[in-house]
Amino acid sequence: MNALPVDLALAWDSLPALLRGLQVTVLITALPLVFGLALAFPLCFARMSPRRWLALPAELFVVFFRGAPVLILLYLVYYGFGQIKALREGPLWVLFGSAFGCAILAFSLNHAAYMVEVLRGSLNAVPHGIVEASEALGISRRNVFIWVKMPLAIRYGLKAYQNEVVSFTKGTAIVSVVTITDLTAVANSIFEQTYDPFTPILCAAALYWAFVNVLRIGFDLWGRWLDRHNAVPPQEQAQQRAAVAASAGEIPVPAPRRRSGFRRPVL
Amino acid sequence: MTAVPDPGIAVSVTGLVKRYGDHAALCGVDLEVRRGEKIVICGPSGSGKSTFIRCLNALERHDAGRIVVNGIELTGDEGTVQDVRQEVGMVFQHFNLFPHLTALENCMLAPRLNRGLGKAQAQALAMKHLERVHLADHAGKYPSRLSGGQQQRVAIARALCMEPRILLFDEPTSALDPEMVKEVLAVMEELAASGVTMLCVTHEMGFARRVADRCVFMDRGAIVESGEAARFFDAPASERLRGFLAQILH
Repeated sequence: MNALPVDLALAWDSLPALLRGLQVTVLITALPLVFGLALAFPLCFARMSPRRWLALPAELFVVFFRGAPVLILLYLVYYGFGQIKALREGPLWVLFGSAFGCAILAFSLNHAAYMVEVLRGSLNAVPHGIVEASEALGISRRNVFIWVKMPLAIRYGLKAYQNEVVSFTKGTAIVSVVTITDLTAVANSIFEQTYDPFTPILCAAALYWAFVNVLRIGFDLWGRWLDRHNAVPPQEQAQQRAAVAASAGEIPVPAPRRRSGFRRPVL
Repeated sequence: MTAVPDPGIAVSVTGLVKRYGDHAALCGVDLEVRRGEKIVICGPSGSGKSTFIRCLNALERHDAGRIVVNGIELTGDEGTVQDVRQEVGMVFQHFNLFPHLTALENCMLAPRLNRGLGKAQAQALAMKHLERVHLADHAGKYPSRLSGGQQQRVAIARALCMEPRILLFDEPTSALDPEMVKEVLAVMEELAASGVTMLCVTHEMGFARRVADRCVFMDRGAIVESGEAARFFDAPASERLRGFLAQILH
């Protein structure tokens, strides 16, 4: 028996298949992210509308699709809609007839429901005074939204959005239940062929990890670019450091109180 | 039946009422401001002075009475609201700069969106007004890198970039550290000299004495007393104004 739980030769051999699985995972993540976000905007506007007849359906949408487990949603769309004869014979069967189409649909609805709330929270976080100042300048409501509210809301909501994207990405692993061979499904089938309980699953985990980290790096760069208005310019940083260094020389700093007999070693 | 507006009148308010639920924040305010006049409005907190000037550019919608700004009557209609806001600049207590834009971009946004100026034109206009508030050197900085006084001066420049005929100030120095009040007041005094109509809610009584053509004292949603600055401070007629002045002048 190998000392490592991972069979490196098997890992190497299954890499092409796993990468094909990763491709499917990326696709099945990216498309719902796009469609879900596109759907979330109008729903969010409806949700925030003072008109009850607009706000209520949007709220119900969120309550339903955020509350329903994605797995059950997926079953419902894939197996449930196939029972409807009119749908089977209609033009929408192109979508509902394919596992891929069903998965994209179910994921998009789920992601949209979460994003409605992320968006709403971020838009509500924009300080009222800043919106008022824009209005006082005679900027139209549409332009206030595009140039002031949305750019700020993106900044406030970025971390919540990143959380949602990352957990959503990993959540796509359940698509294997509707016959799609994503990364998890590939790993599972390798396990079934080899009975190696560790290698394929650990390799898949490593690939998920890599994917999520690519996303993280992307978000970090985006966040840093968005936050440039709070960045301290380098020369100012140097000044601050110099000021701290200078003041440290002048003011005697008392030693921290110790509860144990620890003495700070003299350097 | 709309009479031809008197071009010498910048703002005309009659019987202005604003309610928040059962509470009447303004109960029948009348004020006429001539073009070029500088008005200082003061009064205890909760007296309705902020609500009053916020009604003038429809940040608060009034419930009754008539507001005519630069010959445009403010009705519920969005078109008149936009028209009035093009004519009226406002400076807030908390600056309310756009944090994601530089000082220059803060000043460029409204002219570009409302007046359709190109980038170069808007930039030139913004620089002109940033120079006017002595901040040309800081044009490229974001608000978070500016002091409170500098931020408020950017806010003034931002309002000026729409080249308004009327300027409203809502306690422009109340959120500033004492040493920064001066630079903002100095800019406001320079503006006053330029002939623009100004309505200013402030407790800076020195500024009021130097600049105001007329001081208005509000209490409990109504104008209690108004008059030219010297008489207002030295010989207040009403008991309430006397009490108020005694409070703030120590």
